[in-house]
Amino acid sequence: MGKAAAGDIPADPDLVRRMRQGDESALEMLYARYGGLVYSLALRIVGDPELAREVLQDTFLRSWNGRATYDPERGRVAGWLMGIARNGAVDLLRSRPHQARLRERERLTMDVPAVEKDTAEVFGLRRDVMNALHALPTPQREAIELAYYSGMTQTEIAHALKEPLGTVKSRMREALDRIRGLLAPAVERDVEADNSRD
Amino acid sequence: MTEDRDHPVDDLAMYALGTLEAPELARLDAHLAACESCARRLADYRGVVGVLPLALSPTPPPAAAWTAIQTAVRSRQRRVGRWRTVFYAARWPAVAAAFIAVVAWNIALQRELNWYARGPQVEALSRRPGRMVILKGVAAPAANARMFIAADGGHGHMAITGLTRLPKGRTYQVWFIRVQGQPIVGGAFDVDARGRAWVSIEPPANLDDLRAVIVTDEPIQGNTAPTGATLLDGRL
Repeated sequence: MGKAAAGDIPADPDLVRRMRQGDESALEMLYARYGGLVYSLALRIVGDPELAREVLQDTFLRSWNGRATYDPERGRVAGWLMGIARNGAVDLLRSRPHQARLRERERLTMDVPAVEKDTAEVFGLRRDVMNALHALPTPQREAIELAYYSGMTQTEIAHALKEPLGTVKSRMREALDRIRGLLAPAVERDVEADNSRD
Repeated sequence: MTEDRDHPVDDLAMYALGTLEAPELARLDAHLAACESCARRLADYRGVVGVLPLALSPTPPPAAAWTAIQTAVRSRQRRVGRWRTVFYAARWPAVAAAFIAVVAWNIALQRELNWYARGPQVEALSRRPGRMVILKGVAAPAANARMFIAADGGHGHMAITGLTRLPKGRTYQVWFIRVQGQPIVGGAFDVDARGRAWVSIEPPANLDDLRAVIVTDEPIQGNTAPTGATLLDGRL
């Protein structure tokens, strides 16, 4: 892949603007920046490298086809991409028989070293998200991870955790409220950084 | 804002996480259309959910993945260019008057064709990245459907069970519900004596402009917007 010139690192919204003008190199840069994370997310949900590759390809193709619909008011580019990836992975997971899904999850014991280099902006946000998740009480963190990565419905999650549905719902909401509070300074910092580039 | 009957904030969190089931989704959608504070809260939750995967360690993707993406992007650019040429050559004032007749004709033709899988489309779908969407019964609780569409839009098929045969003069219609703007007709069909159908779907090229696909019961001549109850609902 081509490399950006030294000192010329476009922000994510700039890349999407260039994609709208038909600039394929902008899609390539977005892929270089987030392809590893999208693949990790897909792998975590579907538990199979070949299916995860399908989700990865589908995600970036859909980001290209839907580049005109990205709205900065609705969230960051990274969140937009992860949302596309997660929806695709969960759809794939829900389309397969339950037992086959369990078998695929058991196979996922790999520990592949990360080689992607984050930009400073992404690195900082990643650190903040990891810290926010670690700060959650264990029942809240488990509930959020089950909800986000398993593709289960709320009823299935309550059954898996052996908790009443109302308890599970409250736990999820408290967890999101807590993470939202912990990440608020980081989000404000990143909004200022994005605005300063415009 | 705490959880209460007027502001179901616990459901907002589940909505953002994608774990709500169809009946509650429909109720919450209706509430969100009228409650600005809940809509803002949902947007906040979606922002949080959107960054959760950043806690994962990136894994190097397979080397061939980027090549496949690049090939698909360039292939689509060539197809879009050809259709644009055809459209600009056909800008006649009579096109507007003929539109209504074409819609009615198309409904009838799709019902004829829906029983047969078109060979070239099947071949295309078998090779292109695709997406599976699960539709669940809402006003028709016993109904289920699975839709498979090409990731770059244009082709798709839907398998449906659990609906009832319609009386003469009525048809089932597939609708793509957009994030903004009018719904788009995706196809029309009727079921066999056992309540099953296999439908050829024409999704819009840009799938990310869509938020749901639904099936309703409409008059045989078709409608330009859904008028019947939502029988099946799938989130995109």
